[in-house]
Amino acid sequence: MADGHAASIALAAHAAPAAEARGLVSWLTTVDHKRIGLLYGTSALAFFLIAGFEALLIRLQLARPGGQLLGAQRYNELFTMHGTSMVFLALMPLSAAFFNYLIPLMIGARDVAFPRLNAFSYWVFLLGGLFLNASWLVGTPPDAGWFGYAPLTSKPFSVGPHSDFWLLGLLFLGTSSILGSLNFLVTILNLRAPGMTFLRLPLFVWTTLVTNVLILLAFPPITVALIFLMFDRFFGTPFYLPAGGGSPLLWQHLFWIFGHPEVYILILPAMGIVSEVLPAFARKPLFGYPSMVYATALIGFLGFGVWAHHMFAVGMGPIADSAFALTSMLIAIPTGIKIFNWLSTIWGGSLRFRTPFCFAVAFVAMFTIGGLSGIMHASPPVDLQQTDSYFVVAHFHYVLFGGTILALFAGIYYWFPKVTGRLLDDRLGLLHFWLMLIGFNLTFFPMHFLGLMGMPRRIYTYAPGLGWDFWNLVCTVGAVVQGFSLLVFLANVARSLRRGTPAGTDPWDGRTLEWALPSPPPAYNFAVLPTVLRRDALWLTKHPDARGPGLADLRALVTPAGPIHMPAPSSWPLLTALAMIVLIAGALLHLGVVIVGGLLTALALLAFATELVPARANHGGHADGDHEDPHVGATGLDHRKLGIWVFIGSECLFFGTLISTYVVYRGRSLQGPYPHDILNVPLITVSTFVLLMSSLTMVLGVAAIQARDVRAARRWLLATAALGGVFLAGQVYEFNHFVHEGLGLTTNLFAATFYVMVGFHGAHVTVGVIWLSALWYLLTRGRLGARDEALVDMAGLYWHFVDVVWIAIFTLVYLIQ
Amino acid sequence: MSGQPSNDRSYRAETSPAHGAAHPGAGPRTYLVVAAFLLAITVMEVWIFYVPALARVLVPILLILSTLKFTLVAMFYMHLKFDHTWFSYVFVGPLILAIGLAVALLWLFGLIGTTGVPHAGAG
Repeated sequence: MADGHAASIALAAHAAPAAEARGLVSWLTTVDHKRIGLLYGTSALAFFLIAGFEALLIRLQLARPGGQLLGAQRYNELFTMHGTSMVFLALMPLSAAFFNYLIPLMIGARDVAFPRLNAFSYWVFLLGGLFLNASWLVGTPPDAGWFGYAPLTSKPFSVGPHSDFWLLGLLFLGTSSILGSLNFLVTILNLRAPGMTFLRLPLFVWTTLVTNVLILLAFPPITVALIFLMFDRFFGTPFYLPAGGGSPLLWQHLFWIFGHPEVYILILPAMGIVSEVLPAFARKPLFGYPSMVYATALIGFLGFGVWAHHMFAVGMGPIADSAFALTSMLIAIPTGIKIFNWLSTIWGGSLRFRTPFCFAVAFVAMFTIGGLSGIMHASPPVDLQQTDSYFVVAHFHYVLFGGTILALFAGIYYWFPKVTGRLLDDRLGLLHFWLMLIGFNLTFFPMHFLGLMGMPRRIYTYAPGLGWDFWNLVCTVGAVVQGFSLLVFLANVARSLRRGTPAGTDPWDGRTLEWALPSPPPAYNFAVLPTVLRRDALWLTKHPDARGPGLADLRALVTPAGPIHMPAPSSWPLLTALAMIVLIAGALLHLGVVIVGGLLTALALLAFATELVPARANHGGHADGDHEDPHVGATGLDHRKLGIWVFIGSECLFFGTLISTYVVYRGRSLQGPYPHDILNVPLITVSTFVLLMSSLTMVLGVAAIQARDVRAARRWLLATAALGGVFLAGQVYEFNHFVHEGLGLTTNLFAATFYVMVGFHGAHVTVGVIWLSALWYLLTRGRLGARDEALVDMAGLYWHFVDVVWIAIFTLVYLIQ
Repeated sequence: MSGQPSNDRSYRAETSPAHGAAHPGAGPRTYLVVAAFLLAITVMEVWIFYVPALARVLVPILLILSTLKFTLVAMFYMHLKFDHTWFSYVFVGPLILAIGLAVALLWLFGLIGTTGVPHAGAG
């Protein structure tokens, strides 16, 4: 056993990592997933500390009754920013840091599927986080809660730019999340090493896969919800205003359709980390691997069916309450499977109580406590007592702090040696662990009592003599202890980076592929991509059993056989993100800034998209050491085609939410014109014919390029773009006509839903026309050729999707009035 | 050694030529036939819209016809019929979720069925 471990260390020690570029510019233009992971990690930790400080201020205010540290407005701002920052700027990006660094290493890949898009996701996240926190500098941070309930966030009740910062910031950050998820989904599906079948994937890869599916499907509904809020606040539409026929409950439904999958987005990566750490320190394989995989998938699936358990108090009715109570209780089953599997992994193992293991075990315990209070909330009559009380605050902090954050620290301690080449000090680590665990329980366990004693959430102070004084003080003491624990952690990191014990390749005798590589790994990860023969491939290669090793050749992973082609750095991800933040910030400043930002964004996106298009079409194909075509994975599928399909899948939820809102709100307008007064079915029938014919010309264009007939392809692409232009002209005419007939954007609810839904469809058509025109131009100039059929195919899939969305809109809006 | 598939049967199934064929799809003739169907169905839909006698069955008929158009475009123009099954999963899964959420919202806002409360979800 020891020989195998020693062998992997000896091999990796002889590998010579390629020299990496240094300096600020190299970091600003990096597309290396490992560097991007480090950027995510350090940025997210910084936001975590800021959000933690916000929490400390909250606790200091509540330490005694009648606290004078903060006024009500400042208190509202602090709990809003604490929650928003923790969810969107700390926990999600910390998970993204682990995805970025580890996923390509664990699946045996050189990088992610779309390295530049990956970098772009990071810069959007960073700039979004800075934008959100810039609100402190101008004195108007968000103040309506991280959940932003309408109508509190609507203009009559939230007049200043507080909620504008919030909604614009989240819209921007959502872009980062969706693009990042698209990247990881394609990476995991398409870049797995030969032999790495789905049931040989490390469980962390599985949890990452399901998490990113959840992000892709859950973020579009909140994007639509935020768009509606933006229209309400900026243009005066009545999406959430009862006075205009709208409903605040629409916000709640759309928010929690996102919000509940979001909590699984926050916890699943943590579960994946724990599923890697526990087996390493128990020196046993993960117990019940297949059931863990199915439980993970089931949690993801069921997570979309429980959202209204956050709304038991709104009066949905007993049937709705019962349905969501049932689904909420059902979701405890796969979670329970995981907990028992973790316990079984530890049971009978050869345990090493190092810091990562301690954090991972604490996760299991603390998450179980949080899960138990969660089951209580699943019962509507019980929840009616607990909702909006500190009992709920206790619950979600046990699952998110006791769950996610403890697991993230387990991951940091576990993988720090691989990233830096040095071990974190274990004594300081254990000190951090115990201070954090004690402080955390001192802070949040008494909140169960406070909730049961009737203390509501989101109050900035309370009167003496209610019986809350003692436990609030205990909570605050706990928060201070947690603060000290973080100082210990930071000191440990600073010390270990300079003088930590060298880690070597495999300090923990790990089970997954990254432990075969030097610490830190070279830019190209694997000298030769591994061929995986079994699950736990590295472990079984180091410690083979009767069925043989897990990898075909361990030595080949670290011994370079020749030059390896890696993606070049690019400045366009950062520049495009900067252009977009000008556009976003312009919404708070001046229309002129919006226009400038929009133009800059369009130019930057065009440059970004065409950066890799050569001066002359590539007729010879591209080769590197591993694949004939760098865009094609071991499955034979093109990353780009898979990527556009994944994007289309996400768009189904986007348009589905827009169309659902239209149908839900039909008949609720308080005044005319109504649909039957104004919709011109004959005109739009002609438009529909035009769009259907554009789908025909598009598919003929794809067929032409596949037949290597570039001239015909150019003709059909031009025809498609032209027909798209005709369709858009029809839309412009229709909108103009409606306005002249007295149907403006804010006239009634029909107008608001119609213009926003059809307008966004039109925007998608516009993007399609620009895309096709660009392709036509590049084909005409000879910069793209017959071998670039994948690019035309991608555009074609997008175009057809826009067409099928119109099929739905034409039927539901124009024909079913 | 690198890039060589293992002997694992399930892995080879993923990379077999039946999956992800280089140029999936029908020919131009099929596309023209599909276009003709799409136009014909659209004409039928609009005709039904203007026939008062069919008002009672308008909604189900239109939903069926538009589903048919949707399916034709997805299967033939978007090549799902000829392409790797993963693309179908990646498209149909979210589509089913979107439809499910839409139906749930209609139910919760009292437009279909009952949640047990009159005017359920009215804001």
